[in-house]
Amino acid sequence: MKKHIAIVEDEPALRENYAAALARHGYGVKTYGNRKVAMQAFSTHLPDLAIIDISLEDEAEGGFDLCRDLRALSAELPIIFLTARDSELDAVSGLRLGADDFLTKDVSLPHLAARVAALFRRIDALRRPDHASDVVRRGALSIDGEKMQTTWNGTPVTLSLTEFWIVHALARHPGHVKNRQQLMDAANVVLDDNTITSHIKRVRRKFQQVDAAFDAIQTVYGMGYRWVE
Amino acid sequence: MSIRLQLLIVALTTLILPWAGCQYARELETALRVSQENALEASADTMAHALSAQSERVFRDVDDIEPFAASLGDLYVFPLHSPPLLDGYREDWGVAEDPKPLPTSTGYAARLQAGFTERYLFLYMEVDDPHFVAEPADVHPEIDRFDRVDLTLQQPDGSLESYFFATSAPGLIEAQTVIQGDDGVAHAATEPRIQAYWLQTSRGYHLEVRLPLSLVGSRLWIQALQGAGGGRAGFVGAEPLRGGRLFMATPGLDELLATFIRPGTRATVIDANGLKLGVAGTLNSIASDEGVGASGTWYRRFVTVDTSQWPLQVSSPERVTGRSVETALAGQPAAEWLRTASSQELLLSAAAPIMLGGQARGAVVLEQAGDQLLELRDQALTHLFNLTLLATALAVMVAFGVATFISVRIGRLRAAADSAVSNDGRIRLDMPESARADEIGALSRGFERLLARLNEHTQYLRTLGGKLAHELRTPLTIVRSSLDNLESEGVRADQRGYLTRAREGISRLQSILSALGAAARVEESIKQAERVNFDLNELLHSAVAGYRDAFSSRRIELDTPPDACTLRGAPDLIVQLLDKLIENAVDFCPVAGTITVRLRRSGSNYELAVINDGPPIPTALLDRLFESLFEHRQGQDDKPHFGLGLYIVRLIAEFHGGKALAANRPDGNGAVFTVILPLI
Repeated sequence: MKKHIAIVEDEPALRENYAAALARHGYGVKTYGNRKVAMQAFSTHLPDLAIIDISLEDEAEGGFDLCRDLRALSAELPIIFLTARDSELDAVSGLRLGADDFLTKDVSLPHLAARVAALFRRIDALRRPDHASDVVRRGALSIDGEKMQTTWNGTPVTLSLTEFWIVHALARHPGHVKNRQQLMDAANVVLDDNTITSHIKRVRRKFQQVDAAFDAIQTVYGMGYRWVE
Repeated sequence: MSIRLQLLIVALTTLILPWAGCQYARELETALRVSQENALEASADTMAHALSAQSERVFRDVDDIEPFAASLGDLYVFPLHSPPLLDGYREDWGVAEDPKPLPTSTGYAARLQAGFTERYLFLYMEVDDPHFVAEPADVHPEIDRFDRVDLTLQQPDGSLESYFFATSAPGLIEAQTVIQGDDGVAHAATEPRIQAYWLQTSRGYHLEVRLPLSLVGSRLWIQALQGAGGGRAGFVGAEPLRGGRLFMATPGLDELLATFIRPGTRATVIDANGLKLGVAGTLNSIASDEGVGASGTWYRRFVTVDTSQWPLQVSSPERVTGRSVETALAGQPAAEWLRTASSQELLLSAAAPIMLGGQARGAVVLEQAGDQLLELRDQALTHLFNLTLLATALAVMVAFGVATFISVRIGRLRAAADSAVSNDGRIRLDMPESARADEIGALSRGFERLLARLNEHTQYLRTLGGKLAHELRTPLTIVRSSLDNLESEGVRADQRGYLTRAREGISRLQSILSALGAAARVEESIKQAERVNFDLNELLHSAVAGYRDAFSSRRIELDTPPDACTLRGAPDLIVQLLDKLIENAVDFCPVAGTITVRLRRSGSNYELAVINDGPPIPTALLDRLFESLFEHRQGQDDKPHFGLGLYIVRLIAEFHGGKALAANRPDGNGAVFTVILPLI
C-alpha cells in the first residue's frame, strides 16, 4: 500500500525538492504551503506521515500549532519537524508537542528518506506485536531496533528518532567511544557539535526521568561519548 | 597649550587697561601742565604790563640802560632781611652767595659783597693780607703806609666823597675822611655816620661797613691797599664816572609785587641784566607727602613723564637765569619746567618782559611749585592703578576658574570617551555632562549619539553572523536538496564531477555559515547551560588525548597538578573553550612545534594556560584579541575566520566568573593564552 506523506513547507523550491525525492522512493506526496490549507486537507484525510516546517508564511510558529492540532487528530501519526531553526528551545518545544523527530534543513535527502522509511518501519513493527524483533539488552536498557522503542528497567523511554539512533549506536558497543561524527552517521544527520551535545543532554535527561541515578552515557572530553554498564 | 593657559593669557590682556589708563593720565598731565604753563605765563604777562605802566616804581633809575658790568665795578646789593650785627662776619647776612673777588693788578686778593636793609647799605670785604700794618696814631693819610680800604661814594646829590677805613687796633671803627690841615698836610677826620668793624684773621682781615642809605647815591668804588707793600685790589672812583653802579632791589617793589600774586606763587622782577629787583611770595612746595610717595613710587616709573631731562633750576640769590628768562628779556613771554637742584621737586617758571619804549627793560618771573600737579596725578594714577589691577586680578581669577571648570569637564568627557569602548568591546552609552545646555553638553550629547550609532552597528555586526547563518540556510538547503535530487535522478558519469564540485562548494559554504553562527550558538548554549561540579584535571586529560589524535602534527603537552581540580561550571562549555584555544594555538604553532596545556592553582583561581610556539602577538593587539569580530590573522588559510574564536573563549570564561588574558611568552617565541577560573 502506498504511504502518503504530507509536506507543509512555505518555501516552494524546497517543498518541491522534498516532494520529488520522497516520490522517487515510492511515497505519495502532498504538499501544502501554509497551515490553513494543510489543516483543511488533514481534517478530511490524514496522511501516513507529516513533515512540517515550524515557521509557515506569516506564522512564525505555525508548525507547532499544526503539530498540536494534528496530534489531536491522531496520536500515532508520525510527525517530523524540518526547520531552518536549530535552537535548543525549538527542538525541545517541537519534541514536547509529540513530534517523532526534529531535523534541521541541513539534512540530506537520502537521510530524510532513510528517516521516513524508519518511521514507517516502526509503525509496521508496532502493528505486529508478537514479532520477534531485534532487541539489544544492556543491563537495564533494552532497545528494540524494529519498533524503535527503548526501555529502562522495563519502563519505556520516549526518544525521538535521532535520539534513538544515537542511543542505539552507543549501546551496541558498550565501552567504545563514539565520536560525534560516528554518532551523526548513525543518526543519519549532519549536525554540528553543539547539537550532538544537546541531543546527548536530552537523552540523559529522558533516562533520568525514569531513573534519577542514570549515568550510563559518559562524556569523553575531546573525543566523544561512550556507554558504560 | 591648555585651555587654562589660553584663558589666562586672554585674562592677562586686561593688563592693557592700566597701561591705557597711564597713557591717558600722562596725556592728561601734559595737558594740565600746558594749561598751567599758559595760565602762569598769562599772569606773568599781565603783571609785566601792569609794572611797565608804573616803571618808576620798578626801576630806581629808569633812564639807566647801561648793562651791568662787574668788571667796571658795578655791584649788586643783596637785600638783607634783617640788619646784621656789625662784627666782621657775614654769616648773619643770610646771603648764600660768596663775596666776589675784586680785580687786582698786583696779586693782592680782596673780595667784596654788598647788602642793604631799609636804612643802611652794608659792605663786607675780605682781604688776604697776613701782615697787618696798623694805622699810625697821628696819621697822615697821603704819606703813611698802612693797611687801608678806600671808599669813594657818589652822594645823592651827585658829588663824590672819599673815605678810608684803617685802624690801629682791630674792632669797631669809623670811616675817616681826608681833610687838608692848616699845615698843608692831609689829616684824617672821622665820619661817625659810617661805621665798620675790622676783624683780624689768620689770613688777613674782614671789614664790615655800615653806611646809611641817605649818604649813598647810585655809585660806589672801593679799593683795598696793602700797608706793607704796593698791593692793591678794587676800583677807584674818578671823573668821568665809570662803573661802580649799585644795582639793588627797588624799594617798595616787594610790597607792590605782593599785591599781584596769589599764594603759592613767587614773583621776581629782574632787570635787563637778570638781576633781581624785587621778590614776593613763597613757593609752598609740598615736600613729598610720605603716603603718596611710598605707594605711588613703584609704578610711577612706568607712567610718569620723564622729568630727569628737564633743566635744573639755576638758583642764585642775585640773578634769575634760564631759558624762559632769556626769552623774556629778548621780548617774548615764556614758560618752562625746572627741577630744583636740591630735591626732585618740580617748578614751573614763567617769565614776561617789562617793555619800556619798545625794549625789554626787565622781566617778571613767576614761579609755581609743580608738586601740586604731581600729587594730583599720583592720586589719580594710584586709584586708576589699584582699580585696574583689582579688575585684572579678578578677571584672571574668573578666567582661571572658568578655564579650570571647563577643562575639568572636558577632561571628564575625554576620559569617558576614552573608556567608552571597553577592552571587551562593550560600549558605554551614557556620557557625563550631557545634561548641560552649553557646547560641552552638546558635545557630550554628540558623543552619546555617536556611541549609540556605533553600538547599533556593533550589535548589528555581532548578530549579523547568526542572522546570515540562519537566512542563508534555506537557499543553501534548496541547492543541496536539488543536488540530491539530481543525483538520485541519475547523472552521466562525465557530469558527476560537476556535482561533486558543487557539493564541495556547499560544504564550504556550510562551514562558513557554521563559523559565522558559532558565537550566537555559544551564547545560546550559555543561556541554557547547567552548572555541575566536575574534575577539570580529568577533563583536560581526556580532551588533550583527543587533541593529540586530531592534531598529530603538533606536540601537545599537558601540565596539570597531580590531584583532582574540582570546578563548578559547564564542562561542555569548558571543552569548547579549550577547543577554541587549541585551534588558535594550532593555527599559529608551526608544524612539529609544541603546544602546552597547563593548569595551575593560583590563590582562589585556576589558571588554565595554552602556550604555543610561534610568532609573538603585536603588543598593541593583546588587549583586543578577545573582542567580538576582532581578527588579526594576516595570511589566508582554508578555514574562514571571523574573529569569534577568542570571543567565545571570553564568553565562556565570563560565564564561569573568570576572564581571559593574552600575553607573549617571555622568550618572545610564542604566545600564552590564559583563562582565569575562580575556584568553587
